[in-house]
Order: sequence, then structure tokens, then C-alpha cells
Amino acid sequence: MKSHDLVIGLAGSGGDGVITVGELLVKAAAGEGLHSFMLKSFGPQIRGGESSCRVRMSEKQIFSHGDRVQVLGVFSWKDFKRFRGEMSLANPVVIVQDSADKTPEEDIPVDKEVKRITYEVPLGELAKEKAGTGLAKNIVMLGVLSELFNLPKDGVRTAIAKRFKKKSQEVIDSNLAGFDAGVEYVQNELEKIDEIDFTYTPTEPKVVMEGNETFAYGALYAGCRFFGGYPITPSSEVMEWMSRELPRYGGTMVQAEDELAAIGLIIGASFAGEKSMTSTSGPGLSLMSEQIGLASISEIPIVILDVQRGGPSTGIPTKTEQSDLNQALYGTHGDANRVVLAPADVADCFDVALQAFHISEKYQIPVIVLSDQYIGQRKETFDQNALFGNGQSHHKFTRRTLPTDEELKDYKRFRYTETGVSPMTYPGIKKGMYQAAGIEHNELGAPSSDVDVHAKMTEKRFRKDKYIAKELNFVRFYGPEDAEVGVVGWGSSKGAIKEAVMRLNDEGYSVRAAVPQVLAPFPQEKFETWLEPLKKVLVVELSYTAQFFKYLKGFLRFGDRELHSYARSGGSPFNVQEIYEQIKQEFE
Amino acid sequence: MAEVAEQVKHKLTDYKSDIAPIWCPGCGDFGVVNAIYRSLAELQLEPENVAIISGIGCSSRLPGYMSTYGFNTVHGRILPIATGVKMANPKITVIGAGGDGDGFSIGMGHIPHAVRRNVDMTYIVMDNEIYGLTKGQLSPTAHQGDITKTSIYGSVETPIKPVKFMLGIGATFVARTYAGNPKHMADIITKGIQHKGFAFIDALSSCRTFKGVDQNTYMRKNTYYVTEEDHDPSDKDAALKLANDSDRFAAGVLYQEEAASYDALYANVQAKSQKTEVPQIQELLHRYIP
Repeated sequence: MKSHDLVIGLAGSGGDGVITVGELLVKAAAGEGLHSFMLKSFGPQIRGGESSCRVRMSEKQIFSHGDRVQVLGVFSWKDFKRFRGEMSLANPVVIVQDSADKTPEEDIPVDKEVKRITYEVPLGELAKEKAGTGLAKNIVMLGVLSELFNLPKDGVRTAIAKRFKKKSQEVIDSNLAGFDAGVEYVQNELEKIDEIDFTYTPTEPKVVMEGNETFAYGALYAGCRFFGGYPITPSSEVMEWMSRELPRYGGTMVQAEDELAAIGLIIGASFAGEKSMTSTSGPGLSLMSEQIGLASISEIPIVILDVQRGGPSTGIPTKTEQSDLNQALYGTHGDANRVVLAPADVADCFDVALQAFHISEKYQIPVIVLSDQYIGQRKETFDQNALFGNGQSHHKFTRRTLPTDEELKDYKRFRYTETGVSPMTYPGIKKGMYQAAGIEHNELGAPSSDVDVHAKMTEKRFRKDKYIAKELNFVRFYGPEDAEVGVVGWGSSKGAIKEAVMRLNDEGYSVRAAVPQVLAPFPQEKFETWLEPLKKVLVVELSYTAQFFKYLKGFLRFGDRELHSYARSGGSPFNVQEIYEQIKQEFE
Repeated sequence: MAEVAEQVKHKLTDYKSDIAPIWCPGCGDFGVVNAIYRSLAELQLEPENVAIISGIGCSSRLPGYMSTYGFNTVHGRILPIATGVKMANPKITVIGAGGDGDGFSIGMGHIPHAVRRNVDMTYIVMDNEIYGLTKGQLSPTAHQGDITKTSIYGSVETPIKPVKFMLGIGATFVARTYAGNPKHMADIITKGIQHKGFAFIDALSSCRTFKGVDQNTYMRKNTYYVTEEDHDPSDKDAALKLANDSDRFAAGVLYQEEAASYDALYANVQAKSQKTEVPQIQELLHRYIP
């Protein structure tokens, strides 16, 4: 059976090199111009715990990790068992397992109704014999998978050579020998008993990136030259990337002692004139809350990236959720305006990073970006021109407005203006001296507890929201405009929503989805237009308490439309089938 | 050309804003702000090249009374914010100004980190051993037995000794001065600003309202001055000995050592990172194309 869209799952313990196999597969796929996704999942152990990954590769464009694993590579059933809940299997499923694993039939953690087509391969033995080390059993697995299912073998070989380039030729050769051992074993010892035959036509290679590095890249490109942060899963990759790249471009990365300091550092750096950001996850954002208010009242541009994870408290640090929405929208005391953006996929992280800096600089306001583990740590392919366009960039590189010489003669840092934006100086600029303050202040920045000043200044700061909403209102829509069933989700849910809606549209169901890139200020007008023809609306999100659903209800007049919420705890991202079924219910 | 006496460009008042302080009559903080004006004038720093970062408390109102750049931030975060300013713009002279509560209570977690980074800034803590702005609660530097609004029966807590603490965590410049002697204070602040690295100044600054006139008398009577003639500031043991004198206050530069500052070290990091060719930012994308 020719297959153009394949999902491969792998599970093992840390030392098995499961993630390496996944990464090599994605790179091989990308090298051949295939669309690919890779999701990693780990147990809580620092080293050597169980780990799993799933790789999807497809000839046509894909938007999610794929629902069901068609091919499962197993080093140990014991390890697979831990991921059973997040890795649903196709029926039948093709299994390649290490023959060293002697789990008795009755203990194999696969539902009885799922038919297994199993290949047993002495991975460890072959690795020892051909590659000179049992450690290469993952590479042998890679050879077996590549040959059995007709995956891009040359691409894998190139990826192996690149991966071990920094080691020695010996290491490269040994891994290539391991790979070939797997290929040859299939050719000589196995009889093909499944029907999967992956076929594709190679095209121009694609980019492979993770959301965290894409956001960091976008920030650097946007002109961010100061990063202050504190390590936290699943966002630390952003900080690591900045640590390596920022100094190369004249920027500065400071690892703070905690998140209170992290946000303080970037507020200070931005006050001093530099485009600044931090990255964190839910617990860190909680600690930053107070100073989000400081940035808001002192009108200092900053960008905060929150790569969400399961919460509350420590929650599940390694797994995804969309439950920081309330915190991003409302966290901090007082009436403090901020902008909240949500990237929808890996490439979108780049665009959102640019938007975040543009808006924060132009409007002198804190911008919070809600990414999540699903976007931040997955690998995803995209076209080479996806980020920069065809040499033509539509991106805006905005810097805060400086006062004119005329304005500096009688400089008022917080002057009341039509847009609420007042020209901003920074230390070093003559005649531009002022006091920034978390305390309420008048136009000059002098502290004031006058109620009228407070009312007027609050109004001034919030006046910006209207102008921001005018230029920042990107909403992704999928499906016919006259559909009567609408589905809405945000951020990383986009992938599953889009695929589900496309599938339903193909099957003749008229449904239209909306996924906003900006959550605050809320793109009201666009949503009202979207809402107009709808009779039913389904809101989907990875938040048990339906934070997004409740937020929407505050903005939109749903009238007598039927309104449903599909809100569940995170941990595993939405599957296409899951959303598909939820939407389908709306037609019953 | 004939020698021309260097003209004094900036007067003391050039650093002073038009805002009248909210401080109570007799507050030690007047002495501190005057000493800062004096020091900046002495150093002839351009007002636009100075940034004073404060937290919350009576003393943290100080940036408002300056005509330099200033930032009156939130409680306890002077040091991270000041570090951000310095690292983003190392040419700026950064001064942190706050109280004992802001620094040694809510902001305590940041102090060892600013110290170990040796951030090139001057941190002036106006220590009055009481919470003044909130009207008289217990401070982390208050003495055991002190009766305040939140220690009605006398404090049972051991006070933090700022100078001793700072010496203990390895600050490269530790000094003490007294607000009743603005000339000495200005001199100490000048030395702090000139120090390349983290300069800590313990500024004894009495609270007339909540500690009464007696506190100032106590501070004045027990302050004694050390100079380089009778104390070697490179001798840490000697400095610790002075710090351990719990009844009296040794004022002066108690300890100073030379060490590379954070921004200087980070400039090395930048140079090191740029040793291999740095591509255009757009070119970085190629790293991600297999």
C-alpha cells in the first residue's frame, strides 16, 4: 500500500537513543523536502529515564503530529507502557521490536483489539557486531525502519554524518555501519508482512526548527539585544539559544537569580534603551506578575515569552497545556494593560516574535507571548522562504519614538497624547532626563497621588489599546464563510483544528474555524463578522476550567446561538480525530 | 596657550530637581541626597549619563529629587533593574538608592548576586533601622529588643549587620558613612562611583519621626572615622574587625579590592563569541536546513 503520510512512534529508555532516531528521521525527511513533525516526550528523570518520540512525515502539508502511530519502534515494552496514554496506535499497527525484549504476550501493553504486525530484530546484537558497540542499536533500528518502509535512506545517511561530524570519522563510520546493518537485515532476513510503502517525490529541502529556537531567532532578528531569564522547563532552550547568539551580535544575556530578577533585568535594560525580553513558563510568569504592572505603568517596552506547561504549581513541567491564559490576561494587581499574543505553530513563533517587539516598542507596553511545550519543543518543517519571504520582508523593525529637539526643550516623558504614546528617551540622551516610576506620576514623571492625575494617566495608558487593536488583529480562518457551525481555539490548537476542519469540509460539512494570533486586545470586529452567520459555536482548549471559553463570553454577544465548550486538561496535545469528532457532534 | 583653570561646568544644583522632598524635617535622607549632588558635581558627571534606581520606602523617593535619569521601581528590585541598566548601557553611571527594608528584607535575595557579578554600580542603603514609609514597623536591621508597631513586646530577631554581611559575601567595595556628615558622605560616594565594580555604602540615616532625635544622637556619637592612615582598606581581616564592633560605627572605606566588573567580563564574552565569523542574521537559517 502506497503511503504518503506516515506516523512513526518510538519508545525506550534514555540510553536507547530514541530521540536521536527521531531527529535523524526528521532531518532526513526535511532534506528530501517532506513535511515533518516530531514530538518528544520524557519521563521525569534527568538522565536515563524513559523517553518517546513520534515523527510524522508527509508529502503534502501537515499541521499536526498525526493521530495514530502506524509504525512503532520498541526497545522495551516496559518503557512504552509509560507513554501508552499519549500514543494511540493505528489498527493494524506495525511493530519493530528488539528481540532482546522478552515481554510475554499477555504483558504487552497494547489493546487486544489492535492487530499487531511484528518484526523482531536483534538490534543490540547487530549493533555490537557491525557498529562495534551496543549503543548503536538505535541506529540499527533506524536502518530497519528505513528499509522496511522505504524512508529516505540517503537523507538519513547525510543526517548521521552531520550529527557526528564534531566527533570523529570513526564514530560516523560506526554509525553508518550500524545503519547499513539494519538495512541489510531487512533485505536478507525479513519477509515483508505489512503493507506500508512510503513514497514521495523529493523537492527542495525544508527548514527544521523547534518553536523555542524559532522565537529566539525571531527576537534576535527583531533587534532584541538583551535577554534576562531563569531556567525553567519547557522554555530553557530560548535562553540557551540567546546565550550562544546574543553576544555574537553585540547583545547581552544575563542568567538571573530568579524570575523576579529576570523581569527586573529586562525592565532595566529596556529603560536604558535596549530591546529586551525574557522567557519563562507558568511558575516563572507568576513570579513576574508584580513587575508586569511596573512595565505597564512606567510604559517600558518588554517582551515576555511564556512556554506553557501543565499547571498549577509544578504541575507537569514536560508536557503541554493552555492554562496560563488567565494569568497572561489578568496577572498583576491594578488596572495594567498589556498585549497577549499566541503563536500557532513553529514558523509562526518567528512572526509573533517580530510582532511582539514591534508592538511593545511602538506602544511602550509589555507584551506577553503564550507559546506552549507542544510548539516550543517540537520539531517542525517549513519552507525556506517561510520566515523571510522571497527576499522581501514584510516585517516591521520598530524602535520606540524619541522626542524631537523641539520636544526636548520642554520634555514631558508622559505627555498626554492622542494615541497615549509619549516620546521616550533613555539614559545618555541630553535634556531627556526623567524619572520613570511604578508610583503614579504626572506628565513629567513626578509622583502624584492626585485622583484626577491617576484617572487621566490610566486613561492615557489604556488609550493605546484602541490603536493596537487596529493594527494587530490577525485571525486565522478556515472553512467556508457561510458556514453555520463555527469552531474557535487559540495557539497550538490551530494544527488539530485546521486539519479537522479541512477533513470535515472535504466530507461536505460546512464548518468555519477561527484562531486568533492576538488575544489581547481582543480582535472584536473580526470575531463579530465571523460569528454573524453561525448558529452553533464550539470553543476548544487545553484548559480544564475553560479559561478561553469564559474569556470569549466576556467579549462576544452570542445571542441565541448554541454555545459549547470542549475543554480538557493538557498533557497531550489535541488529536485531529478528537477535534473532528467534537465538531461532528455539532451536526447531530 | 596659556593655562586656563578648568571651569566648573556643573554646579551642585544642576543635579537637583524642582520637586520638594516628602521627607519629614530632620530626616537623614536629606543629608544623603545632598551628598549625592555634591559627589556628582565633584565628579562633574553629565546629568544625562547618570541613572539612579530606587525601590520602595522613604529613601527610595530619592530619584525624584534628582535631575538625572531616575527610576523609582517596586519594592526590593533595585539591584536586578540597576544591573539591567548597566549591562544594556555600560557607559551610564548607575546608582542604587534604597532603604534597609528594601535591601535587606524584600530585596535580600538579589544582593549576593549583584555582589558576585561585581556589577559596576554604587549601592547606597539608607539605614534607619525602621520602616518609615509604612509608619513604624520592624526592620531587618533593628536591634533585638526594639519596640516597633509590629514588635510591641520587643524584637526577638537578630539584626542583619549590613557591613559585616557585605564583607562576608565578597563585595569588592564596602564603606560606611553618616548622613549627618554630608561632606564625608559625598567623599565616600565619590569613591564608590570611582570603584570599578559593586560598591556598597552603608549610609546611617536616622528617622526623626519613628526613632526620635535620640537615634541621630546615637549615630553621631558612635560614628568614628577611619582613613587610609589608620586602616588599610585592602586588609579584609581588619575590615571585618571594624565591622564586628557592634557598639560603634567605623565610617570610611572599610574594604576595597580590584576585580573585573561584570560589564568588562561580559565584553570579553562578546569578543570570544565573535572570534569565529558572525554571519548575517538571515544566514543563521541555513543551520536548520539539512
